[in-house]
Amino acid sequence: MLIEVFGPGCAKCETLLKHAKHAIDQSGGDHQVVKISDYAVMAARGILSTPALAVDGQLKFQGKVLSSGEILTLLKG
Amino acid sequence: MPDPGKHQSSFIRRGGWLLVALPLWVLLYVVLHRVAEWVAFGVFKLTPKSHLGEATAFFFYDAPKVLLLLTLIVFIVTFLQSFVSSTRVRNALARRRAGLGNALASLFGIITPFCSCSAVPLFIGFLRAGVPLGVTFSFLVAAPMINEVALGMLFAMFGWKIALLYAGTGVTIAFAAGLVLGHMNMERHLESWVQDALNAPSLGESEEEQITLPMRIDQAIQGVKDIVGKVWPYILVGILVGACIHGYVPKEFMARLLGKETWYSVPLAVLVGVPLYSNAAGVMPIVEALLGKGAALGSTLAFMMAVIGLSLPETIILRKVMRPRLIAAFVGVVALGILLVGYLFNAIL
Repeated sequence: MLIEVFGPGCAKCETLLKHAKHAIDQSGGDHQVVKISDYAVMAARGILSTPALAVDGQLKFQGKVLSSGEILTLLKG
Repeated sequence: MPDPGKHQSSFIRRGGWLLVALPLWVLLYVVLHRVAEWVAFGVFKLTPKSHLGEATAFFFYDAPKVLLLLTLIVFIVTFLQSFVSSTRVRNALARRRAGLGNALASLFGIITPFCSCSAVPLFIGFLRAGVPLGVTFSFLVAAPMINEVALGMLFAMFGWKIALLYAGTGVTIAFAAGLVLGHMNMERHLESWVQDALNAPSLGESEEEQITLPMRIDQAIQGVKDIVGKVWPYILVGILVGACIHGYVPKEFMARLLGKETWYSVPLAVLVGVPLYSNAAGVMPIVEALLGKGAALGSTLAFMMAVIGLSLPETIILRKVMRPRLIAAFVGVVALGILLVGYLFNAIL
C-alpha cells in the first residue's frame, strides 16, 4: 500500500512520518511512504489541517498525529 | 466467551484510569499552598513578608499550580477538540455572506484546534470551498487569538468574568477585522501561486475515517505530552518573571506604567507583547502578577492578546500566501482592534 503523509515540515508532520515508517517496518509487508509538502497538492486533495495521512489515495485522517499502532491497523484493514 | 482480561484493559483504555487520576489531581491541588509555604519558609528558612520570601513562596506555589491546571485543561480541551473538524467548519462557512459569515467564523475560531503550520492549507482550503476572504480572515484571527487553553487557564485562575471578557473581546476583534479586510477587496494581493491553486481542479476529496473513543483519549494524552512537554520552560520563565514582579516591583510603579490613567499603557502593552513569542500558558503567570500589582485590566488583556494572537512565526508562515500589503493590512487591523479593546476596557471598568 502507499501511505502519503502531508505536511509543510513542522514537528508534528515529522513525527507522523516517523510513525508511518515504523508501522511499515513492523507490518513486514510491501508498503511505501511518501512525504508531500506542496501546498498546491494539499489544496487539490482537500486537506485543511496538517499533518494528514492518506492510504492508497484515500485521505484517512487530518490534523492528527496517528500512532504507529493506529497506522498499522490502517495497513491491515 | 469474552476474555475478562481483555475487557479490563479496554475499560482502562476507555478512560477508566481517570477514576484514579482525577482524585489524585484534586488532592495535589489542595495541598499545594501549604507545601509551597513549607518549602519557602521551612526548608529555605526565608522570612515571610520579605521580598525574597514572598517571591520564593509565589514561585513554589505557582509553578506546580499552573502545571497542574495546564495538564487538566489541555486534556479536556484536546478531548473536546477531537469532535471538531476543520472540514465541517469549512462546509458550514462556505458561501456565507459577510456579516453572519464573519460572526460564525469568529465563534468557530474559539473551539477549533489550530496549529500555525496548518494556517496555509486551511486558508487555501477555505477559499477554494467558496468561503469569502473576509470570513476566512475572521476565522484566521479568531483561531489563534482565542486560544482554548488560555481560556481554560483564565477561567481557572481568575474566574468566569475575565474568561468571558477575553473570549468576547477576541470574537469581536475577529468579527470586525474580517469585515474590514473583506471590504478592502484584497483578493489580488494573494500570491500568484495561491490564485492558481484556488482554480486548480480537485484531485478528489474523500470521507475521513471515524475517530473512536480510545483514539480521542489517546489524542488527549498525546496533547498533554506535546503541549505540557513543550511549554513548561516558558511557564517556568513566566513564573520567574511573575515572581519577581510579585516580590520586588512596587505596586505604584506598575499602576503608573500600565494603569488606567496612563494614556500610553495600551500601546506599550501591545508593542511589548507582539515580538514576545510565548505560549498562551506561559503568559498566564505574568498576567496574574500584573493584575495583582495594579495594572489595568484593559492594558493587561491587550498585552495578552498581542502575545498570543499576533505572533511573528504565524505572520512569516502567512507571508507565503499573502503579498506584503495584505500581510500589513492583516497585522494592522488586528493590532488596531487590540488597541481599541484595551482602551475600551480601561475606560469602562
